[in-house]
Amino acid sequence: MASLLSDLEPGPDTSPEFKRKKRRITNETPASFHRNQVNQRIKRWRTEREQQVYSSKLIEALRRSRRTSSSAAPNEVRETADRVLAVSAKGTTRWSTAILTSRLSSGAKMREHRKAKVIANTRLKKPKINREKRKLPVFERKLKVLGRLVPGCRKLSFSNILEETSDYIAALQMQVRVMTAITEFLADGVGGGSQPPADRLGSNVNP
Amino acid sequence: MSSRRSRSRQSDVSRITDHQITDLISKLQQLIPELRGRRSDEVSASKVLQETCNYIRSLHREVDDLSDRLSQLLASTDTDSAQAAIIRSLLM
Repeated sequence: MASLLSDLEPGPDTSPEFKRKKRRITNETPASFHRNQVNQRIKRWRTEREQQVYSSKLIEALRRSRRTSSSAAPNEVRETADRVLAVSAKGTTRWSTAILTSRLSSGAKMREHRKAKVIANTRLKKPKINREKRKLPVFERKLKVLGRLVPGCRKLSFSNILEETSDYIAALQMQVRVMTAITEFLADGVGGGSQPPADRLGSNVNP
Repeated sequence: MSSRRSRSRQSDVSRITDHQITDLISKLQQLIPELRGRRSDEVSASKVLQETCNYIRSLHREVDDLSDRLSQLLASTDTDSAQAAIIRSLLM
């Protein structure tokens, strides 16, 4: 029992009894503690600091990938952006670990394998069962679609999917903000329109 | 079966309450720009899910477009000095 409590709360290194008393006094259940953690994580995506960290990491990663391959293909850029985003999540969410693991193993092959399995299963089942499945309520169908959109969330429970989705949307919003800023910056420099203000740049981009 | 349930952990994270569901759905609603202003009793949960899916799809599309533009721009700029400049300007 004591070890269970110490697993749930990352508190200071104290005796299990103290921890049990502490829980009763603050009256914080694992559920609300978990919710607070989730809220804090989501707010993090909005901070200036997180944006700066992501943009510098992204630029560095793009520069590295340009050294290895001569052209920066759009899907390479997209994959790099997603991968860096997943790394920035610091591994506490399912969608981030799903993105990272799908890059390591051949993600496409896994999807093919899963598809073949599903087809084989539906063929073995009797038609009666299939007709029942089609009558899934609208709500659950939409939940399934959502689970497919967010990486790594196909078979999660309802509340888990919603949590992952909130975090994923906040992260995607930051990704769009950063990439827009980088793109506009580069476009300003390349387009050769108005001269960028001197205090913004350290070196002149245009030759 | 009920005795087994009462013996389980008191406040199990995985036990979903109705309050938790509405809480999560309203939180999701706040993140979606289209539905942000509306009261949570005006918008059905099903609509929130639908709009969430649409929103995620549009965000994906935006990232794809930005990747396209970015790859074109990167191909045509002198990367090292440009990227040093970007980093400096974005971090200050």
